[in-house]
Amino acid sequence: MRRVVCGVLVAGVALCLGPPAAGAQGAADRVAASVQRVWGRGAVADTVPVDSTAVLRVSRDGHPAGWGVVRNVRGREQPITFLVAVDTGMRILDVDVLVYREPYGGEVAYESWRRQFRGRGPGDSLRVGREVRGISGATISVNAVTLGVRRALADLAAWRRAGRLNQ
Amino acid sequence: MRAVRWTATATAALVLVASVAMAQEATTLGGYGEVHYQNKSGPNTPGEVNLARFVVFLSHTFNDRLAFRSELEVEDAKVAGGSPGGEVALEQAYIDYRLGSRATLRTGLVLVPVGIINETHEPTTFHGVARPAVDHDVIPATWRELGVGLTGTLGAGLNYRLYLVNGLLASGFTASEGIRDGRQEGREATFANPSLTGRLEYARPGLKVGASFFSGGTAGGDSLVGTGWYDAPVTVLAADARYDNGPLALRGVVATASLPDAASINRVYGHDVGRRIAGGYVEAAYDLLSLAQHSGPERLIGFARYEHFDTQASVDRGVVRDADNARRHVTVGLSFLPIANVVFKGDLQFRRTDGPASSLQVASLGVGYWF
Repeated sequence: MRRVVCGVLVAGVALCLGPPAAGAQGAADRVAASVQRVWGRGAVADTVPVDSTAVLRVSRDGHPAGWGVVRNVRGREQPITFLVAVDTGMRILDVDVLVYREPYGGEVAYESWRRQFRGRGPGDSLRVGREVRGISGATISVNAVTLGVRRALADLAAWRRAGRLNQ
Repeated sequence: MRAVRWTATATAALVLVASVAMAQEATTLGGYGEVHYQNKSGPNTPGEVNLARFVVFLSHTFNDRLAFRSELEVEDAKVAGGSPGGEVALEQAYIDYRLGSRATLRTGLVLVPVGIINETHEPTTFHGVARPAVDHDVIPATWRELGVGLTGTLGAGLNYRLYLVNGLLASGFTASEGIRDGRQEGREATFANPSLTGRLEYARPGLKVGASFFSGGTAGGDSLVGTGWYDAPVTVLAADARYDNGPLALRGVVATASLPDAASINRVYGHDVGRRIAGGYVEAAYDLLSLAQHSGPERLIGFARYEHFDTQASVDRGVVRDADNARRHVTVGLSFLPIANVVFKGDLQFRRTDGPASSLQVASLGVGYWF
């Protein structure tokens, strides 16, 4: 009986803590997991240096599958690290919040909020309170990530037009 | 061979990209503030203008796990020896230690996670020049105490906070402002009454609902009231909801504080503290510029709020209930946000009580910012 109680306690603590926080390798693992999740198993990536950004160029089964950028945008106090993944037609496949450091507003990492960006392209308007629904109590993070996504998408589209993503 | 080459390339690429994701040790400065102009109805009541709050955020990120956060506030612009009013105070100062994706250890001067305004009170996040009165007399915002606890997400849209903090002091409780002056706010606080406070909230785009509590003794070691850790207890329960659907925003809060030993508190300190303090408000707001299909960042939001609260919702025998403590405020006004970080506000407030006090109208103008 005591063993069962101990087991339940340990499991409870582990569940409460969740996976360990990201370190150096942890951040790379998180980007790798994000690429696999968005593009599917077997997706591989290399990087294309464009200006000061290392753009992820992703392919699957030997065919181009899209691009991704990892960026930081400032929330209220801390940077929020996110990945914007687009397909070869520059439509957003997903937005992934890789590291969230703010004390309040972590709801921007929820799938229910992020999925609003899927399918949006560079010509689409992305405004909080209009095309993107906000989350009360997470307003600052919502505005920050939406702005970051808008900029990342615009940059990717501009680089694509300039032929800089396939060097 | 090709697969191996791909894998090596992929790993190198990911490490390169992930370098962006590493927190750099950095110190951040930010702040918010608000200026209020108020004019009350009645004879000989000239308007008053006040720099109500000037707050500086100072935070430091040590690494991806450890961060320090603080808010230093100057209230009413000036604190001078010998003259009343004004306050320089720390609103928050704590260390966050991220244990994992679901738990962060928070230690220091923390915000009690009850209601909406206490944790989220930058002027651009609420309507009306002044904060709701319920968040003054029922939930004593800005309510902060020293303690330690955990915060994190549980998945499925659920967040939690659970802190052990120093207790309130019954000696400060009053009939008209409830438990407000019982806060210790981190100043040589007695830990005679460790208290538990927590919040569970559910969020999805457009909706957030929360339930919160605070419970603990308030005797503060005063043997006339009690020396036990849970003597003269107070229990605050609150529920809140916020709904945003594009231009429409609705929010509401209900809160109640129970003081089962109010009789002995009143006997010792000579106050008329209610045995129960209760109240709440509902508010509706609408972005009027959306009607004109406006495409810029500006927002012009009309709102109306109804508050009903009573700091003596029930009293012990022997206490004469003052019906002026049962208050109803109706506030209507406008908030203009040229960008999300700056707001100009104007409102009219109609205050009534159940007692003999005459009704009062207050016209207010204000400007607020955060960055």
